[in-house]
Amino acid sequence: MNRSCYCLWDVQSTDRSAAMAELLCSDPGLGEHTRELLLRALEAREHAGATLVSPGISMPHCRSLLVEDFIVILGRSRKGVPWPDEPARLIVLFVSPVKPSGPQEHMELIKHLATKISESGQKLFKARSEEELAEMLGFRLAGSGTDEPGS
Amino acid sequence: MNQDLEKLISLHDLDIMILDLGRTDILQQEVRLGLSPDMALTELTTMREQLASTIRKRWMSLYAQITARYDNAVVPVIMQRCSGCFTRLPTAVSSADDRNEQVRTCPTCGRIIYWAD
Repeated sequence: MNRSCYCLWDVQSTDRSAAMAELLCSDPGLGEHTRELLLRALEAREHAGATLVSPGISMPHCRSLLVEDFIVILGRSRKGVPWPDEPARLIVLFVSPVKPSGPQEHMELIKHLATKISESGQKLFKARSEEELAEMLGFRLAGSGTDEPGS
Repeated sequence: MNQDLEKLISLHDLDIMILDLGRTDILQQEVRLGLSPDMALTELTTMREQLASTIRKRWMSLYAQITARYDNAVVPVIMQRCSGCFTRLPTAVSSADDRNEQVRTCPTCGRIIYWAD
């Protein structure tokens, strides 16, 4: 897995929806309408079941026809964002595109993250920089290389 | 953006989520992450029904007709082409100022199309 991601190092929002909106804003490739509709999809998924996958780590995600390529955005919150009962200090947001080949790559990304989160566990909170956090999760920080986000 | 069009996009995204959580491989990975996909699936299905009830019958009927033929009933226009059938759209359609202000379909395949911002 060598996808690139964006990272918001200090999430300011204090609720789940606002935090997801804040993270989506950090991807300059998303237009306003697309962001709004993606937020709606992510909120629906969260409403159906909160995505707190490990203590302090949430993983809002969905597959959507609104994106052409994978979007991965990491967010770190010092205080923690209520998700909704427990605080999430690390948010791993991703949206996978709808491809004619099916959801195989989406499934691979979930599998990849499950492995990385399980391997790194609490060490993820000790990352000292965006680059280090991205690397621990097996991503490349967008803008730090030559490749485009999501590639 | 036209409200009906927005709702159809959201409906399509909900259908994708429902479809995904019905797949054994994705379900297993979600369980591995400590999530409760069964509960989420029930909730999403309820939300889908609620959203569908707010969409006008003519659009729901159209949506149902398209999903009977294709996996993707709603598709974005990319480079002036319908991303469902890849046919180039007529200039009059793709250059219209109000292109997202009404529900439009691809003249070739009939899928509902929208322009991403």
